[in-house]
Amino acid sequence: MTTTTSTTRQATDPANPETSRAADGTGGGGASPRSGRRTWRAALGRPLAVVSLVYLVLLVVAAIAAPAVAPFDPADLDLDSVLAGPSAEHLLGTDALGRDVLSRLIYGGRVSLLNAAIAALTFLVVGVVGGLAAGFYRGWVDRAITGVVDIMIAIPGLIILLVVLAVFGGNMTVAMVALGVLAAPGFARVMRAVTLAVRAEPYIAAAQVSGLPNRRIIVHHVIPRVTGPILVQFSLFCGAALLVDAGLAYLGFGAQPPTPTWGGMIVEASTVMQQQPWLLVPAGATLGLATLAFALLGDAVRDATEERTGRTAFRSRRAPAVANREPVSVPAGDEPTPTALLRLRHVSIALPVNGALTTVVDDVNLDVEAGETVGLVGESGCGKSITASAVLGLLPAGAQITGGQIWFDGTDLTSAQPRTIQKLRGSRIAMIAQDPIASLDPVFSVGQQVSELVRRHHGGSRAAARTHTLELLANVSLRDPDRVASSYPHELSGGMAQRVALAMALAGDPDLLIADEPTTALDVTVQAEILELLQRLQRERGMAVLLITHDWGVVGSACHRANVMYAGQVVETCDVASMFRSPSHPYTVGLLQSTPHQATPLEHLRAVPGAVPAPGAWPAGCHFAPRCALAAADCGAAPIGLAEAAPKHLTRCLHHDQIARLEAP
Amino acid sequence: MTEPLLEVRDLIVEYPGRRRGDARIRAVDHVSLHVGTGETLGLVGESGSGKSTIGNAILGLVAPTSGKILFQGRDVTQASARQRRELSGHIQVIFQDPYGSLNPSRTIGHTLTEPLRVVHGLRRAAAESRVADGLARVGMPPDTVRRYPAEFSGGQRQRIAIARAIIHQPQIIVCDEPTSALDLSIQAQILNLLLDLQQQLHLSYLLISHDIDVVRHMSHRTAVLLRGGIVEQGPTHQITSEPSHDYTRALLAAVPQASVPSGAQS
Repeated sequence: MTTTTSTTRQATDPANPETSRAADGTGGGGASPRSGRRTWRAALGRPLAVVSLVYLVLLVVAAIAAPAVAPFDPADLDLDSVLAGPSAEHLLGTDALGRDVLSRLIYGGRVSLLNAAIAALTFLVVGVVGGLAAGFYRGWVDRAITGVVDIMIAIPGLIILLVVLAVFGGNMTVAMVALGVLAAPGFARVMRAVTLAVRAEPYIAAAQVSGLPNRRIIVHHVIPRVTGPILVQFSLFCGAALLVDAGLAYLGFGAQPPTPTWGGMIVEASTVMQQQPWLLVPAGATLGLATLAFALLGDAVRDATEERTGRTAFRSRRAPAVANREPVSVPAGDEPTPTALLRLRHVSIALPVNGALTTVVDDVNLDVEAGETVGLVGESGCGKSITASAVLGLLPAGAQITGGQIWFDGTDLTSAQPRTIQKLRGSRIAMIAQDPIASLDPVFSVGQQVSELVRRHHGGSRAAARTHTLELLANVSLRDPDRVASSYPHELSGGMAQRVALAMALAGDPDLLIADEPTTALDVTVQAEILELLQRLQRERGMAVLLITHDWGVVGSACHRANVMYAGQVVETCDVASMFRSPSHPYTVGLLQSTPHQATPLEHLRAVPGAVPAPGAWPAGCHFAPRCALAAADCGAAPIGLAEAAPKHLTRCLHHDQIARLEAP
Repeated sequence: MTEPLLEVRDLIVEYPGRRRGDARIRAVDHVSLHVGTGETLGLVGESGSGKSTIGNAILGLVAPTSGKILFQGRDVTQASARQRRELSGHIQVIFQDPYGSLNPSRTIGHTLTEPLRVVHGLRRAAAESRVADGLARVGMPPDTVRRYPAEFSGGQRQRIAIARAIIHQPQIIVCDEPTSALDLSIQAQILNLLLDLQQQLHLSYLLISHDIDVVRHMSHRTAVLLRGGIVEQGPTHQITSEPSHDYTRALLAAVPQASVPSGAQS
């Protein structure tokens, strides 16, 4: 990305959290973000997959080149050496008529592999076409195909196969086509599901609006996304088809002796099992290994597609606890307010990004007094949520606090035992999240979930817990607590679910509530109600609230004090009125000016150029300097400390006295 | 104003119920609106109000149950596939989700040139130069064409999505929540870009948003939607300063005030 950084107004690094969020989002169809070619490359990174593929290719090549590679004619009789074991002349021995087993195996592959290929191709065409058509066109096409699929799944396949063989006089080609058709409905269902998921993505709609014909959209924009599932199903079915072919040979269908087939060879070997058990091995092993190879190949393809659609797994590495943390002395004048319920001092947090530990939160100071609402404001990727997770002791795997202390009511949580933090969590510190419906367990009713917490925190009988639960639900202004208690999460609206989440958070009578974007997913009228409720509960209970948000409106209507975060640092701290009246950090000014709320309609907003830099790409000095109109040489020289712009108004800016220059038109 | 560029007359869109036998769900209920050349019509409403469905009906992505959609006086309600292809040079779209709106397995250059070549029959060089011009207009560097969507941030992808729309040289763009997934400072950049492009290219916008601040900032006229129907429609300043419908008043009152820190006073 180096070339674009200077030329675009908002360049980013591949490691940007925004970008990685994007990579998570592409997994909709369970399909690969890039084409099938890359799936293959990833799959072939596995030794077992390579071995499987090499084995299968060898089988096919040997079968095609049989006249050239086979040491003997498969029908050559050598009655002098009948039922011989492996020898230098006959590498795999000879059968009951003295024919060379290796040669018969190679020639047998021609029949067996061809049969399997016919079945597999039929399976592929019917399954892919049916599934794609149903998933893409939906409506009556979908209903018709799904109906046929449902009926076919109910048909006993083997019996139909035998009927087909009887009708067509044992014609294996017809039987194999029938096998492919009979097996395809299950595949079509899978295809339909993944196609529906891809179909729902906006880029398909964008392609339609571009005027691209449907046929082209399917071929160029849908199929490449669903190659993963196609390859998996196809590979597994190839193995199954080989087995069915052998099974039919066992029943006496298919190519008749003396034409060699793998199934036929097993039949012949089984008749002389008493005299020469070895004879079962070559054909049996070839067939078994081929099936296994197809299955392994399918697994590898599946893993390869899943790997790149799933979240990049953190290599869970236990942090070496407190050992490598530098002792941080709290400088004089930096003493936390003695009464503060929560105070963070010089907290730094690092996360593994692409294998390297990267600082994502840098030297954060934060105070929340008992009973006050404090806003933590900033854009995505600034470290707001990870700071909150650190307070709750819920950092993602591999993340570690690399410096500073988190004091909660006199206890340093960074050096506390995990059990201590666990005891605080839920009872003294509670949390509500952005997506209220996802934060409730879908299999339990609301009443069950709330009363479980009530009993955990307060004990008591079921009846008492039930009463308390209904009180809590009434307390969060749910109109009909009885009905809500008996509903399940999917039956609630977003606003109701957020109220339930609040009731659950209140079950332990917390002193501190951490609310992470509690209204972002809600409609604006519902948001107003939830904010009002939050303020009422906070007043009634004397609870402190740490409110994480990107919305100045939420800060203005619900918070007493606010902290603005930018690229891992708190850049400004003061009461909300001062924040709006006299912001003292250029980023705060820029963020306030970005809101269209009070801007002149149809005129340019005063946008901050550029974008938030990714962790690891922060400048040495002031993190905001590259986007700042006030930036001077001294800004980039060394890390910037917090300065006092006014009493109790801290800013991480060297030039805050010139801030008025930004306000001027 | 003479004939409006785009006109929607008495549009009704119904979806089948979730299960067979369920009543049909009316997503859009007798909606009439029009957009003039160079004008922005804001369509504001909460989730489930049918605002995106109106946009999708205009784009031909959902079939209207009844009503008419006229483009330059021409009835395009039941446009055939060929007419749709031709309309793609007039009506374009920008979606909300900058992550899903570009095919992740294709380079930007491939995604952007494909419709120009396949639909509009441009030769490779002509298509590529038009794409380069579009990307330059939205402030993206030329090497963007060789990259994949995953390499860009949300704001950059939204710029690319805007480039994809304008390379068709449309008269009107349906902007369906174009900045809802973006951060505040990026939203400001994108809104500024949309204003610039409107000036330069004489574009009309149908701006669909849940955010009344965005609609107020961007729109000449505004329509307020509630449960599929328009409750109020008119010049934006009139709607926002003297709303005549209770719902509009509630919507305006519900926006938390960034400027009046009431919380700090309590």
